Amino acid sequence: MSALLEIKNLHAGADGTPILNGLSLAIQPGEVHAIMGPNGSGKSTLSYVLSGKDGYEVSGGDMLFDGQSLADMAPEERAIAGLFLAFQYPLEIPGVTNMTFLKTSLNAILRGRGEDEMDAASFLRLAREKSLGLGMNDDMLKRQLNVGFSGGEKKRNEILQMAMLEPKLAILDETDSGLDIDALKTVAEGVNALRAPDRGILVITHYQRLLDFIKPDVVHVMAAGQIVKSGGPELALELEKSGYGEFVGETVNA
Amino acid sequence: MLDAQAYFDRVSGHLPGDSATRASALAAAEKLGLPTRRQEAWHYTDLARLLGMAADDRIDAVDFSAIDLLMAMFEDGKLIDAPSAEGLTMQAFEAASVGDDAMRNYNAALAQDGLNVEISGALAQPLLITTSSSNAMHLHHKIKLADGAKAVMVDNHMSAAYTNARFDIALGEGAELTFIRSQQAGHQVNVSQVELARGAQFKSIALVSGGALARYEAQIKLKAEGAHAELHSAVLGRDKNHADFTYEIDHQAADTSSSTTAYNVLDDASCGVFQGKVIVRQDAQHVDAQMQTRAMMLSDGAEMDAKPELEIYADDVACAHGSAIGELDRDALFFLRARGLDEAAARHLLVAGFIEQVLAHIDDAALVDVFRALLAQKITAQFSKPEAA
Repeated sequence: MSALLEIKNLHAGADGTPILNGLSLAIQPGEVHAIMGPNGSGKSTLSYVLSGKDGYEVSGGDMLFDGQSLADMAPEERAIAGLFLAFQYPLEIPGVTNMTFLKTSLNAILRGRGEDEMDAASFLRLAREKSLGLGMNDDMLKRQLNVGFSGGEKKRNEILQMAMLEPKLAILDETDSGLDIDALKTVAEGVNALRAPDRGILVITHYQRLLDFIKPDVVHVMAAGQIVKSGGPELALELEKSGYGEFVGETVNA
Repeated sequence: MLDAQAYFDRVSGHLPGDSATRASALAAAEKLGLPTRRQEAWHYTDLARLLGMAADDRIDAVDFSAIDLLMAMFEDGKLIDAPSAEGLTMQAFEAASVGDDAMRNYNAALAQDGLNVEISGALAQPLLITTSSSNAMHLHHKIKLADGAKAVMVDNHMSAAYTNARFDIALGEGAELTFIRSQQAGHQVNVSQVELARGAQFKSIALVSGGALARYEAQIKLKAEGAHAELHSAVLGRDKNHADFTYEIDHQAADTSSSTTAYNVLDDASCGVFQGKVIVRQDAQHVDAQMQTRAMMLSDGAEMDAKPELEIYADDVACAHGSAIGELDRDALFFLRARGLDEAAARHLLVAGFIEQVLAHIDDAALVDVFRALLAQKITAQFSKPEAA
């Protein structure tokens, strides 16, 4: 079986500054990978370059998603192809209800795939079912998108979007940041519920904590824009003890 | 701008009321002349220049078919269909008296007609004033709500011609009026004078989605305790559209409150103006007055002028103003695109969400739907274009 995501010798940067320096990585369907690394190692840049944010230039290498190069695809084309980024800092959008947003998003993706849009009643049923599973009530669907949401609510809302859109590959960018232990567990349960043989998940995190709840198959250590070490779940535990010092030439307390 | 004297000479025989009063109003207006930028209230709006610009004439149908309405229909400045309902008393049109303001005097001299109504009790249906005209039009409306009366009034301006409109509004004790206005095109100069008695509530929502000139002036007098006024505006500006909201909110009594929000989406070389002056008189303690201006600039050539002013003579008040002028949020745009929306759809949602914050002040959900649909059409036509690569 071909890789769901294959990143080959990727070089990318912003404003002329190189950030990713020959990064390679392959995720097979059904696998959960974790990328850990100190601040400034390029973790978030990787998530933005994969999802197509403006302002990043890819200067070398390639990213193949289901065998198709992502490089020339618009962000929405990547989303339609089945790529999902759970944002580290979900945006607040005043005047747009969560419900309207979810429906617009789901229907844009269905349309993009040449499928029929979902009717209002089916959509409502689906949104309610998925949100209940994440401990979110109707009120959170009616509120303006992320406006006045707590950090935990915003992250749960990201996982709700992921559950609604059922991507082939989900990238979770520091989804654990700013979460207390209960919120972390709820979010992790939501992610675990989406583990499937045909779906890949890439968890980007600074801390090992999240990986207690979302067990990865493969752990990568990222430093200076490259994967410097890969291993099994035990690698995360090692890092928790020893920190990233070995990889960045100085001690960083994780 | 028309030659007012020649026009007056031609039509004065057909205008209702006392022609001598009209002649003196015209003389006063001509003596004062059109306001210029040297006058503080017109500092950001060059009236003579704007009146000389081609009228923007894109008018889309506004679909009220789902709403049971009372209709006052004006065509070419004359009321051709008068509403009739329990609690609504129609009176004969009255021209305004001569004053010290040129635009008001032009109105007093030239007003052909206007709605002159008194409302008592709760009006069951919204009262729709619809105006269409291919010629310059002067209207003078007098709206009075008796103590405890409640009404929703909608002014749907469907003319691309020059319009000078005046609204004299008096709200009795505990009366509540919601006043929604929509302008899509043309040149319009209007003045609302609103007086609020004890516990009265006035809520104005102005939706300007086009027009070479939209000048909305309001003078609000909160005359007794518990009176509350809200003035909300949304502007979708394109080409060289100019939308100016100039308010004077006078808190004459204690425990009165006001809230003002102005949301401007400005593309091309359009210009938004907000001048809000809040006056709190010496005896008017415990006044709460808030003013907020927000602008989303979609083009480098667009301009927003915001001038909030607080003139406070009482010492125990809560008054604040704020202004935020920025571009479309690029991170929000990326967020929406990463969720499958193409750039046009993402921009549409962001602009619509911005404007929705004004529509949210309309309580009647069916009316919200009507204007949301109109504005969505405008956004699709102009405000959701992806940037040129």
